[in-house]
Amino acid sequence: MSFMENLSMSLSSLKAHKMRSILTMLGIIIGVGAVIIVVAIGQGGEAMLKSQITGPGNTIEMFYQPSDEEVRSNPNAFQQAPFKQEDIRALEQIPEIKRVVATSTKISSARFQKDTADVSTTGINQAYLQLNQLKVAKGRGFSSADFLGGRRVGLISNKLQEKLFKEENPVGKVIMIANQPIEIIGVLEKPTGLLAFGSMEVFLPFQTWRNIYGSSDFTQVTLQASSAEQLQTAGKKAARLLNNLHNTEKSYQVINMEEIAQGVGQVTKIMTLIIGSIAGISLFVGGIGVMNIMLVSVTERTREIGIRMALGATRGQVLTQFLIESMTLTLIGGVLGIVLGWGTSTIVSFFAGWPSLVSWQVVLSGVLFSMVIGVLFGLLPANKAAKLDPIDSLRYE
Amino acid sequence: MIQLDAITKSFLLGKESIHVLNGISLQIEQGEFVAIMGPSGSGKSTLMNIIGCLDKPTEGEYYLGGENVSHYNDKELARVRNQSIGFVFQQFHLLPRLTALKNVELPMIYAGISKKERQARAEEALMKVGLSDRMDHLPNALSGGQKQRVAIARSIVNKPKLILADEPTGALDSKTSMDIMEQFRELNGEGVTVIVVTHESEVAEYANRTIMVRDGVIQSPAAMDRGRLT
Repeated sequence: MSFMENLSMSLSSLKAHKMRSILTMLGIIIGVGAVIIVVAIGQGGEAMLKSQITGPGNTIEMFYQPSDEEVRSNPNAFQQAPFKQEDIRALEQIPEIKRVVATSTKISSARFQKDTADVSTTGINQAYLQLNQLKVAKGRGFSSADFLGGRRVGLISNKLQEKLFKEENPVGKVIMIANQPIEIIGVLEKPTGLLAFGSMEVFLPFQTWRNIYGSSDFTQVTLQASSAEQLQTAGKKAARLLNNLHNTEKSYQVINMEEIAQGVGQVTKIMTLIIGSIAGISLFVGGIGVMNIMLVSVTERTREIGIRMALGATRGQVLTQFLIESMTLTLIGGVLGIVLGWGTSTIVSFFAGWPSLVSWQVVLSGVLFSMVIGVLFGLLPANKAAKLDPIDSLRYE
Repeated sequence: MIQLDAITKSFLLGKESIHVLNGISLQIEQGEFVAIMGPSGSGKSTLMNIIGCLDKPTEGEYYLGGENVSHYNDKELARVRNQSIGFVFQQFHLLPRLTALKNVELPMIYAGISKKERQARAEEALMKVGLSDRMDHLPNALSGGQKQRVAIARSIVNKPKLILADEPTGALDSKTSMDIMEQFRELNGEGVTVIVVTHESEVAEYANRTIMVRDGVIQSPAAMDRGRLT
């Protein structure tokens, strides 16, 4: 007796009890759906966190951590901006490095008419714009001429605009930063995303920043490698180069974002596993429901089993019939559950603003797992059916 | 065709062993039409179950078409039932959710016959019992006589040598009963061995030979006469 024959037979007997079949399936639908939702949202969230941590485009941050001896010989080591103009030029010579983004930040006060605010002013080089998009909501962004000429122009953050200008349009207005006039050419968009919170910031071309503060050193350096594989090599080379130039042992270091991202991934994986296993329990309960209904069905169909046996069905064939029936039940439930989980996680991730990751592996294992549940929880009822005595079953009312 | 040698069957009821058949020996030739009669509790149903390979004898040997089937396992017995025996029951025992045609196809499914051939043979069998216009009806939509005809079609569709009918007219009125018995006679005329278990003498009259069972033994014709007198 072929599989297809069994399948069409089980479909017709499930159809004979539509309401019961649907209610039984509901347990599997909810169970599989819940697991899919948890896994999809978990993986989506993990991917989003990782991408926010590592930043766009194979970048790595450098930092300066002076050793005890350096601090003893130069107590101001912490206060000084650690990266010189020459350092940046030297770094740009490393073949694995595509771009060196250097910025310098200082906190100073900004004043417009009578309102003042403490702002972080960041001087950026032109490479910064290649890596970090400064999305301008009003006015315009920086042009090459702004960088080369060291024009006294700046971009302000959305929050600073609210603080200093309220409803007024700040484009074209002049504010005083560290008592020097700066013309506002644009306002940045309100930041979005999970880790973004608005701060009061001003961005200036580095030349302008240097003229205001009288310092040509950088506080932050971000390296962009030509490819993801070269990121670690580039970072190591850059750290060695700067330590040589400054005659230090290992004060210049790179932050290994890869490791941090992996740590975050670990955390989200564990979370997904925990919530997923709770969802798995509902799948288990659904399986018990299937077993229960199949046991009822075997009892109800005792006479049918007797007739089939009298007509020549072996115990193995009866067992197979009921196993396939319970498997069909859970398989249909599983497929509907995948559709439910897919839909729900797409909707959830749409509103949460992160990608929903329903991978084909998850779908495939959802299908296989629901089939396994059907077989597993169908075994007991099917075995009961196969063990029936044909004579007693024929007499069963 | 059928040979029973000193068949006994006993059941355990609690600690007590109850002997239902006490050494039945019997021979039925190919092409016979035999009626098995006996009062209830005589053991005729148990005898029928053993002949039908639904049950195994406790002791004794049973040869069906030359095969000793008394020690066959469940799987081999299922094959024998499927290939060599056609069953007709008092309560028809059709599957209520399958059409007449699908019901007739059932034994062939277990015989592993292809779908196309199954359908052709089922149609042929239904035509033979005069139901070619009722093939797509569910059992609910058929009269008692029609149901039993479907059951007869089902019993002959695997071309068995033996048809075993257990009270085939028990649920039918007398007119329909005669039609059904005529059907059996017709099949018997084609060379199929027919065994009918009944307690109605009108039904038994269709048979060439009647076997009386009482208290688990077969009564000789002489004893039958004596039994009638007392």
